[in-house]
Amino acid sequence: MTPRLAADDLVIGHGSTVIAAGISFEVMPREIVAVVGPSGSGKSTLLATLAGVIPALSGRVLVDGADVTQVPIHHRGIGMIFQEPLLFPHLDVTDNVAYGLRRQGMSRAEANERAATLLQWLGLAGYEQTSVDQLSGGQAQRVALARALAPRPAVLLLDEPFSALDADLRRRLVIEVSEALRHEGTAAIHVTHDLAEAAAMADRVITVPEAPESGPSALGRPAPPA
Amino acid sequence: MGGGDGPLNAPRWLGWAWAIPAAFLAAFLVYPVIVLGARVGLGDGWSGLTAASTWQVAGLAAVQALASTILALVVGIPMANVVSRYRYRGRALAQAMVTVPFVLPTVVVALAFRSLLGSGVPQGFALVVVAHAYVNLAVVARIVGAQWAQHDDRYENVARTLGATRWQAFVTVTLPGLRGAIASSAAVVFVFSFTSLGIVLLLGDSTTRTLESQILRQTSVLLDFPGAAATAVIQLVLVTGVLLAGAMAGRRSPRRTMRPVALRPVPAGLSGIVVRVAVATTVIIVIAPVAALLLDSLRAGGAWSTAWWSAMGSVDAGTTRIGSPLGALGMSLGYALVTAVIASIVGGLAAVAVLSRGRARVVALLAIAPLGVSAATLGLGTLLAFGRGPIDLRGTGLLVPIAHALVAVPLVVAVVAPALRATDSRRLAVAASLGARPTRAFVTAYGSVLRVVMLASAALAGAVSLGEFGAASFLARAGNPTVPVQIVRLLSRPGEESYGVAAALAVVLVALTLALVLLVDRFGMSALQRSARTA
Amino acid sequence: MAVSRIRRTTGLVLIIGSLVLTAACSSGGGTDAGTTGSPTAAEAGTVTLLAHDSFVVSEALTEEFTAATGLTLEVVTAGDAGTMVAGAILAAGSPTADVMFGVDNTLASRALDAGVFEAYTATDAARLRPELAGDTADGRLTPIDFGDVCINIDDRYFADADVAAPTTLDDLTRPEFKDLLVVEDPGTSSPGLAFLLATIARYGDDWTDYWQRLRDNGVSVAGSWTDAYTGQFSAGGSGGTRPLVVSYATSPPAEIVYASDPKPTRPSTSVMTDGCYRQVEYAGVLAGASNPDGARAVVDWLLSEPVQADLPLSMFVFPARADVPLPDVFTRFAATVPAPLQLDAQQVAEGLPDWLAEWGAVMGR
Repeated sequence: MTPRLAADDLVIGHGSTVIAAGISFEVMPREIVAVVGPSGSGKSTLLATLAGVIPALSGRVLVDGADVTQVPIHHRGIGMIFQEPLLFPHLDVTDNVAYGLRRQGMSRAEANERAATLLQWLGLAGYEQTSVDQLSGGQAQRVALARALAPRPAVLLLDEPFSALDADLRRRLVIEVSEALRHEGTAAIHVTHDLAEAAAMADRVITVPEAPESGPSALGRPAPPA
Repeated sequence: MGGGDGPLNAPRWLGWAWAIPAAFLAAFLVYPVIVLGARVGLGDGWSGLTAASTWQVAGLAAVQALASTILALVVGIPMANVVSRYRYRGRALAQAMVTVPFVLPTVVVALAFRSLLGSGVPQGFALVVVAHAYVNLAVVARIVGAQWAQHDDRYENVARTLGATRWQAFVTVTLPGLRGAIASSAAVVFVFSFTSLGIVLLLGDSTTRTLESQILRQTSVLLDFPGAAATAVIQLVLVTGVLLAGAMAGRRSPRRTMRPVALRPVPAGLSGIVVRVAVATTVIIVIAPVAALLLDSLRAGGAWSTAWWSAMGSVDAGTTRIGSPLGALGMSLGYALVTAVIASIVGGLAAVAVLSRGRARVVALLAIAPLGVSAATLGLGTLLAFGRGPIDLRGTGLLVPIAHALVAVPLVVAVVAPALRATDSRRLAVAASLGARPTRAFVTAYGSVLRVVMLASAALAGAVSLGEFGAASFLARAGNPTVPVQIVRLLSRPGEESYGVAAALAVVLVALTLALVLLVDRFGMSALQRSARTA
Repeated sequence: MAVSRIRRTTGLVLIIGSLVLTAACSSGGGTDAGTTGSPTAAEAGTVTLLAHDSFVVSEALTEEFTAATGLTLEVVTAGDAGTMVAGAILAAGSPTADVMFGVDNTLASRALDAGVFEAYTATDAARLRPELAGDTADGRLTPIDFGDVCINIDDRYFADADVAAPTTLDDLTRPEFKDLLVVEDPGTSSPGLAFLLATIARYGDDWTDYWQRLRDNGVSVAGSWTDAYTGQFSAGGSGGTRPLVVSYATSPPAEIVYASDPKPTRPSTSVMTDGCYRQVEYAGVLAGASNPDGARAVVDWLLSEPVQADLPLSMFVFPARADVPLPDVFTRFAATVPAPLQLDAQQVAEGLPDWLAEWGAVMGR
């Protein structure tokens, strides 16, 4: 079976600064993979590189077997969720969720319908016309999830999406999000520093080493001295 | 929680912040206008309100101002991007340079354009629009840039991962995020172009008349005071309408897209090249007319020469007219500093008042009213109110910086208010919930943003004062000219020397402005970077 | 931590601000106090002269005034002549100064009607040139200087083109001078207004036809003298292309005086002496002046021999007194106009609004 997403000998970093090299892994369709590791180990850089927000220094990113390393962000079919919901403040809840669908050329009516379905599924029925300023933290993160899922991305990248929430809410959302991902059949990479959270959501956990010097790891071999 | 609600647990003094700007504006804006109004009355000037010609001029001026605003936005927004968001060698200089056209005396701008374009470009609509856009680039670049610098890029990244192209992300996410600043600067540019005087007199024709030029003609050529008063009333009403619309658009501007952000590195690859080309273009656009002036100052008798620069100290020595350039430099700098202090205190407090409810909002509105009050009207009113007993302020040297501050206060409000509004008031609630006292919580929540924008606006106010000519020639004593007054006096007499020394003085004025803006920017930038690091 | 930094910044700004304010106040007060001691003495010992922003006089002469009268002369400017007169009319009876210089013959009647001036006859009034001697509005105005607004010619252009320069107003409408003339807008420029009045004085009711012909012949209208002369005139120094401009009969000597060293032996411009409009500038004691005696002294001083002799090279005008010798550069290069045009002040005051409107209609402005 072709993996949904594959990293092939990827080198990540900013400009001339290499953060990690030799990263290779695969995410199969419908699979949820957790990446755990201390902060500063390059997890966020990895996600940004996979999504195309920053360029890979070398190596390849493949989506459904196709090389997307040079493909711009908006054509990769990779969705993203951050620690903060980052909802577009000038749009209401429905328009936020429908944003990606509208960019695909879907009519407003169709897009709003799919948005309504997703919102209902996430327990946000009745909030369609609400200003995003008036949502609680948990509600806002749910809307962000609906927005990311709406265009049916091949893979969803989750960058510590629950770390700003309190423990109760976090537990509840972990369950809701993994249900949503499975319901939509979306493959995902979930970056977190919380092992329990990783175990609760993921089919498979890969770790990042404490420090690059400690040898090869699931994520890749340490960066060569610059 | 609507856009205009006051922050929770606001410190008590915030409720009274409006008092200082209110007192200042009442004394130096409202009172002179009332004194003048009482003197003139409208009499049969009301016929001016229905005169077709007045409304025709208003219509022409509106079309011209709209075109000027659109051009200034189209050029200024990309400039705001490259001069206030990226980190590269010379960025501070580029940002300061953008401010320069704004402070050049209009007569110098007109001459620079003539020198640059030759007589080939006919005067009229196109030339006026280009000159207005050029002068107002700083308004757009600085107001929009101040907000854009703190705009959170991740919103665009989210949009891109949702399938938006770079352009779609810009249009659907970035622009709405900057809406407050864009509306605010557009309103200011529109009003400046709509009420413009110097540029339309020097570069315009019948299609570019403004109500302000009408008022000047009615006042000082026809001596038709009631007619001038009626025109001034029409101008005030129209301008207030535009500013209100701008403020409304600003109020609906979104919150929470701002956070203190350090400057970004110039990206690698194609987009990096685009940024570099944009920076180079910005610098060339801004510098070309100034470079033309510099060349003029170095040509005497058809050959290269430093004669005009060495003549600067001795020109018109021993008469009451030009005064020593060094003295004028000191005079201009002194006025600029006092103006910056007055304008940032008055304007800053007026902008802070926007955050609270009720009557304070009225003050914020009043603070931008000077933009609509005819300069000729205000000048005459000020002279009548403060130019003779019992309150003769002319001798104190304060009247000029006060007049300059009146011009600058609206700009300060235009810079500070959108930035404050876009700052998440929840930071105040968080700070308060952590036990901070209201004032401390306010400072924690708004301090860093406030400091950055206040310094930026102080620089703008100082720069306004440096380039201002009207008030400096109208309200000052003859023996203490500022640099722009010297320039204009030199230009109003024939001879190669007059033009050469005027060009040299204009270059000095540009250098002075650059230095001032650079200094203040450096101050503000280090503050911004500190707060970005601690955030 | 953030708080302390803010306080420091704010503190610094406030300190700098108050320093500057103090400096500004003390320097402002200093000039007064330094010369006369206590503030009340300064009040009594100061006379304020309101002038337009083209007023210039040698500093040595103001010092002589102080030495002779014990009064400090404070000169305040208030824009161009029109704006200054507008301010004076609005402040009539309770003026912002004691004496005014620079009201001219196009503005005088409006100021007189508003009761701006008080009668005073200068001690040297008898020495006025004969044609100015009666021009005093019942003693309320004293002529100080005069000048003529004339077409100026770039001699080099016509020499190079091997074309004879125009000599009359009518010549300006001829095809060989097409696109060569730049004039100033009479609504915004004082020489521009003078030139319009010259054409009205010359052509009477047919003046609009004349302007129609000028327009058909490609006349350019500039917003100001600076733009016309410095910007568009081909001898103005910044690459203009038009060799004919409305300026002053004294512009050629000014070209010499303000040229770079070594000074040229003769100017590159000359004056067309037909169709010139005469401007006379007056001084007058302001009604309600707080120092009327000082004001009279200033009028006397303006008409005194040293100041009259200083006027040509400081303001490029002719002195109103007949007995004052002219500087060499004036006698050689300033044009003397045999028959300057002039309109009655009352007629100007009444006709001006309509004339400007008609001019605008003809010129499409």
